[in-house]
Amino acid sequence: MKKYLFTLLAAFSLVFGAFANDPAYENAMKKQLTAMKTIQTAEQSQTVSNAFLRISEAKPEEWLPLYYAAYLHTMTAFRFVVNKDQYFDQAMELIKKADQISPNNSEIVALQGFVIMGKLSVDPMNRGQEMSPQAMQLFGKAIALDKENPRATTLMAQMQLGMAQFFGQGPEKACGLARVGLELYAKEESKVNEEYLLPTWGKEQAQGVANSCQ
Amino acid sequence: MNIRLLLFFYLFLAQSLAFGQTLISGKVLDEKNQALPGVNVFIKGSFDGASTNAQGEFQFETSEEGIQLLVFSMMGFKSLEQVVTLESSTLEIQPIVLAEEFNELNTVTISAGAMEASDEKKSVILRPLDIVTTPSAMGDIMGAFQTLPGTSTVGNDGRLFVRGGDASEVGIYIDGLRVGNAYGTTAGNVPTRTRFNPNLFKGTFFSTGGYSAEYGQALSSALALNTKDLSRRSQGDLSIMSIGGGYSHTLANENQSLTASANYFNLAPYQQLIKQEIDFDLAPYGWDLELAAQKKTGKNGLLKVMARTESGGMNLWSPLPGTDRRVMVSLINDYSYAQANWRTTLNKGWSIFTGASISKNLDKLGFDSLQIERRNDLAHFKASAIKDFSDRFSAKFGVEHFLHPYSEKLVKQGWVRDFKDQETYLFTEWDYYFTKAFVLRGGLRAGTSSVAEEQWVDPRISLAYQLPKQGQISLAAGRFHQLPMDNFRVLNTNLQNSESKHLLLNYLLSKEGITFRAEAFYKSYDNLVTFEGSLENPVSLKNQGEGFAKGLDFFFRDRQTFKNTDYWVTYSFVDSKRQFNQYQTQVQPSFAPKHNLSVVVKHFIVPLKSQLGASFAFNDGYTYTDPNLDNSEMSSKTKSFQNLSLSWSYLPKPNLIIHLACTNVLGRDNVFGYSFSPKANTEGIFESIPQGQVAPRFLFLGIFLTLSKDKNANQLNNL
Repeated sequence: MKKYLFTLLAAFSLVFGAFANDPAYENAMKKQLTAMKTIQTAEQSQTVSNAFLRISEAKPEEWLPLYYAAYLHTMTAFRFVVNKDQYFDQAMELIKKADQISPNNSEIVALQGFVIMGKLSVDPMNRGQEMSPQAMQLFGKAIALDKENPRATTLMAQMQLGMAQFFGQGPEKACGLARVGLELYAKEESKVNEEYLLPTWGKEQAQGVANSCQ
Repeated sequence: MNIRLLLFFYLFLAQSLAFGQTLISGKVLDEKNQALPGVNVFIKGSFDGASTNAQGEFQFETSEEGIQLLVFSMMGFKSLEQVVTLESSTLEIQPIVLAEEFNELNTVTISAGAMEASDEKKSVILRPLDIVTTPSAMGDIMGAFQTLPGTSTVGNDGRLFVRGGDASEVGIYIDGLRVGNAYGTTAGNVPTRTRFNPNLFKGTFFSTGGYSAEYGQALSSALALNTKDLSRRSQGDLSIMSIGGGYSHTLANENQSLTASANYFNLAPYQQLIKQEIDFDLAPYGWDLELAAQKKTGKNGLLKVMARTESGGMNLWSPLPGTDRRVMVSLINDYSYAQANWRTTLNKGWSIFTGASISKNLDKLGFDSLQIERRNDLAHFKASAIKDFSDRFSAKFGVEHFLHPYSEKLVKQGWVRDFKDQETYLFTEWDYYFTKAFVLRGGLRAGTSSVAEEQWVDPRISLAYQLPKQGQISLAAGRFHQLPMDNFRVLNTNLQNSESKHLLLNYLLSKEGITFRAEAFYKSYDNLVTFEGSLENPVSLKNQGEGFAKGLDFFFRDRQTFKNTDYWVTYSFVDSKRQFNQYQTQVQPSFAPKHNLSVVVKHFIVPLKSQLGASFAFNDGYTYTDPNLDNSEMSSKTKSFQNLSLSWSYLPKPNLIIHLACTNVLGRDNVFGYSFSPKANTEGIFESIPQGQVAPRFLFLGIFLTLSKDKNANQLNNL
């Protein structure tokens, strides 16, 4: 009987969860997504990332706040002078939490690969062996989960460009993939409106890889 | 009472009271009372909150009312929750202190005696890749470890000798399980190699003394090899070498992987091209088959299985000193090893490990007309559990059981002698972090042997302290027991454990790309085996020997100063004397040269897609007994040992590597000792033959190709 009740409860909450918009949540998210665009220092990044973590605390069933907090940690490690390994490790911790909320999510898997790529870049000679196939595998999985995810395709292109450069091969393959990424970004942009909370980043990266062929 | 319940009642009662906005402000400090920026401060269950600024201050408005939980959280720190009552327009919080969590990155690690090769840990001396790229190592794990402090190179043996101890004093483990006969059997002065391919392992832990209570039956050193976890992708690896070839195939998905491999080598074609000093009747040959599988179990578990079987041998002519005669020495070795282990983490800070391994070794030896069969088996069962009581206090408990039958048989005569030992061990080890900069580890290991009818307990202790400015010091001490070698025990099953006590003091400085390590040690030896007669035919064996080893070693590694260049320099000084084997007095053993130097340099040339490597090893010579002198016991010394090796690895394509290496490029005629005729000749002189190298140089050419559907598969793994 108890079990039955639980199932019923769970079903209800699912139904309501799907339909019930939470304006407070959406407004809070929108505010931080706007703030995210103006980050210039590691401190500002921390402030926005903390705000996402607060949203996550209040809405533990949402994966997006954790995703953005992890993304900000990752970008901080790439952009600013910080202890890179520490930031990548913290990003990974947050990604794992997001993954538990929303398993087999192409965006989360792609971000995970991005973090591995970051860790690899800290010490490529020694980490290449273990991490380059790991990153490749994650990007491959992210593409398989959602062929329309431009970030998965773009990151894969970026990884391939790095490999091609290391071995002195042409960048053509990577460029081709990056162009596919750019098309996917165009498609994505048509969907984006004021209410859009899902990830949209990465177009410049795709452009960067595509440019390497000119 | 549950805080939520309390809250609920309060809110229920206080509901009628109305509040406006409250401005909360305060300051967060770290344990040293320094401002802590970036701390997330918020009202639990609401979106209201802020981050602390550079001064550690925060301030935010909230419309929440009544009793609330104010949370202070930051990654790497322990979160703090404080009950606040929101009833006025401002609320000033007293300064809050957040404590940093203890984790692997911010706490000191015990470094006395320990050298790790891993990609993950911070106290790394050697990386797994270094094992395959050290020129003098020729892809052998032990060859790479011979460039580390505390070891000495014994060129006609090939095994690992640590700080005045002989090679049998190093215990070798794979995934925590003991490996019997880890080295290939060899004959004459032909150096041996480890049976296991370095590509099997993701990391190694090499201790030159004072090691953990988890390991025993090794007077000098423990070497723990950890196998790789799940393979990432399916691929085939083909190797074609000047001495043979092999193929390995891996099938992998997200939850499991399987690798099967087969290798064959035969030195005959190589030896026809390049003249050897040793007269081989049948050049060394061998084949092996290996299977390794990994499988994820549940959320955190990993099951690993490995099995290997191999066979090989050689025949060579061994000259007899003082005569024109020579005798045929022949060897056939059959070896199998299998193991399975499973580890997982459970709730409440528990993690467990269980495993079993079995090694079976059969040597068929011929010396002239004498035919000997030697069987040596080892089964090991182990279970251990770790409990983390907190982030600063953990304990490990374990139990082990060994079955160890050994037999020797004279084939023609049909004479057999043997023993079957059973050993059981219990061990426990406790780690306590007083502060992030000070850790203490205490351990206890108890054992019993059925054949020796002996019980013993070994205490171990170590500590590490992070110095305020740079570097850390670490101290280790302990007692270690080891049963004598099987060929002695089979002659006298009453032989008891030999015993050694270690004391080590270590200094370690590791900064971005640079590592400096210095260690001083003292070891005592008791109850070593002594006998009368010769090593080949010992009589009246007793536990009556004793001795000591003391010394100092230095290690410097720099991956930073020169672009694309990595080099390390090692110097080890060992002063060791012991009464053991046939020696009547305490002597310096032949395997313990006093001064040992090793230099390894690797340089990557990007436009040539090549890595060049050079390694140089030196020691001041090996002691030996010259019966032509008075008081001759180990009083003579060979000339110094020197070996310069070079290697070149070329990566024309991501999936192809070509590797060329040459040892002893300068062709120095190294001598490791002399064998003397048992009788003086007519002029009263004992004639001798130098024990030298198999050949002045060894040349190796290998082509390694990776085949995979995934076009990005590459040989970086094997570089």
